This record gives sequence, structure tokens and C-alpha cells, in this order.
Amino acid sequence: MIDFLAGAATVGYCVAAVFFLRFWRKTADRLFLAFAAAFLLLAVNQVLAAVLEFGDERTPYVYTLRVLGFLLILWAIIDKNVSGRRKNPD
Amino acid sequence: MEDADFSDDFCRFLQTTIPAVDAAELLLLLRRTPDRSWEVAGLTAELRPSVPIPDADAARYLETFQARGLLAVEDDRRMRYRPATDELRMYGDMLALAYKERPVTLIRMIYALRDSRIQTFADAFKLRRG
Amino acid sequence: MDMFKVVLYLLAALTSIACMVLLFRGYARSGARLLLWSALCFVGLSVNNVLLFFDFVIFPTQVDLRPWRLVAALAGVLFLLYAFIWEAE
Repeated sequence: MIDFLAGAATVGYCVAAVFFLRFWRKTADRLFLAFAAAFLLLAVNQVLAAVLEFGDERTPYVYTLRVLGFLLILWAIIDKNVSGRRKNPD
Repeated sequence: MEDADFSDDFCRFLQTTIPAVDAAELLLLLRRTPDRSWEVAGLTAELRPSVPIPDADAARYLETFQARGLLAVEDDRRMRYRPATDELRMYGDMLALAYKERPVTLIRMIYALRDSRIQTFADAFKLRRG
Repeated sequence: MDMFKVVLYLLAALTSIACMVLLFRGYARSGARLLLWSALCFVGLSVNNVLLFFDFVIFPTQVDLRPWRLVAALAGVLFLLYAFIWEAE
């Protein structure tokens, strides 16, 4: 069951990442690129966490990928707010 | 109002509330008949044959209008046009005016804004209102 | 090292909570349901990150919250995909 949930979440993250990439191409807004990369990291994290056995001492390191993903999002939000206002495309 | 103008605020209204030209037709029909309460099927029947909207689409548009505060829903789930704020009423009036005076621009605008709908996601991360 | 870990995991949790708040705020302002569903996604991811924080930082050996973390993450990502498929196109 756990493996199923992990698999489903991984696929979900990947699909979300692809959507974010499309939105980035459509709008040229860097925020979407950062979100795409972040969700990809979440997917990789999920795969690696599933591969390692429970209690494996490397597990916490795998989760730094996840933390990295969220730091990327944090950076994107900051970037959105300091890089000046973008007008909506007409 | 002297000019059918596409202000930023009005465009934001279009972007969040009017996902298609059919939705504009639907809202304008409701706006023309503020004293009448409607069911979904009645609205789509009224708009046929010039504007054929599948009931499922109409129901989705109406749900959006309702969430936005443009409609009053009565006990028997019938709906009538009753904007919750003066601002919303003004946007409804602007839509009617644009539809009458600059229909081509309006249609182009609705589809252009729909394509940039996802932009609202990115804009949500602006701390100050853009 | 441990302090560093605490800060990192905390930052991840706070970031997801910030996303959630900003998206809810955006929904309240614009009424765009895309933002509502996206905000719900970040509710799931926030729960996931908070649990992760407890799992690895506070009680690294005592508990395994993995099933709950996965359920929260999966629910979150499903909300997001629903939003993208039905509201963004």
C-alpha cells in the first residue's frame, strides 16, 4: 500500500512538473520554471525514499532533495517580489 | 460610462469570471432579465438556436458566476442576476457595453485572457497587489 | 549539524505554508478557483512537511509517519492536477 501511495505521488509530482514547464513556456514567467524544478526534485526524492529500506541511514539525506525543492520555491517567491512588476500580457 | 474601455480591473474580472464567449452570452441574458429567476435548462433554451450551450457548460459557468457573487440563488435553486457589490454591477454593465460596441475586441480579449489564466497562479505570489 | 537540519526542514515547512496562505489570499481576491485548488494542494504539502519535520527532526527514531506523509502529499498533488486540468486550460 505504501509503495502504491509513493508511486502515485511520484507520478503526480512528475505530471505537475510537466504542467509547470508548459506554463513557463506559455507565460515566460520564471516562477513556473522554479516550480517545475521543485516538483521534479520532489519526485526524485519520492523514488529514492522508496528504493531505500526503512531505517537506512541515508534516508535523511534523500529528504534534503525535498527541502531543496521547497527552498527553490521560496527563492521563486522572493524573486517574484524583488524583480519588479511584470504586466499581464495582452 | 462614456467608453467601452478595457481597464486592468475589468480584464481581471473577465479573466476570472468569463472563461468563454458563451459565458458572456449567459451572463448578459441574466443581466437583461434581473426580475426573472432561471433554471439552467431555461437559460440554455432561451439562448438557442443562435447560441447553443451544452447544459453542463452552462452549469459550470453559473457556478463560477455564483461563486463570484453575481447571482442570487433562490430556495428552489433558481438563479437571478443580483451582483453582490456595486463593483460587480459595474463590471456587468461594462461587459454589456463592450459586447454592444466592441464585440470583436471583447471576444479576442476573452480568449487571450483565458490563455493567460495560469498567470493568476504566478501573480498570487506577489506580496503587493500588482 | 543538527541546528542546520532544523533550520532547513523548518524553512521547507514554512515555505509551503506561505504558498498556501498566498494562494488562499489570491483566491479571496480574484475568486479564481484555480487558486483555491492550488491552495488546497499546498495544505497537503504543508501537512506533509510538518510531519516530515516531526519525523526526522523531533522524533528521528521513535516514530514513522511515512504513511500519513504520503497520504497528505498525494492528496495535495491530486488537488493541483485537478486544478491544472479543469481550471487552467
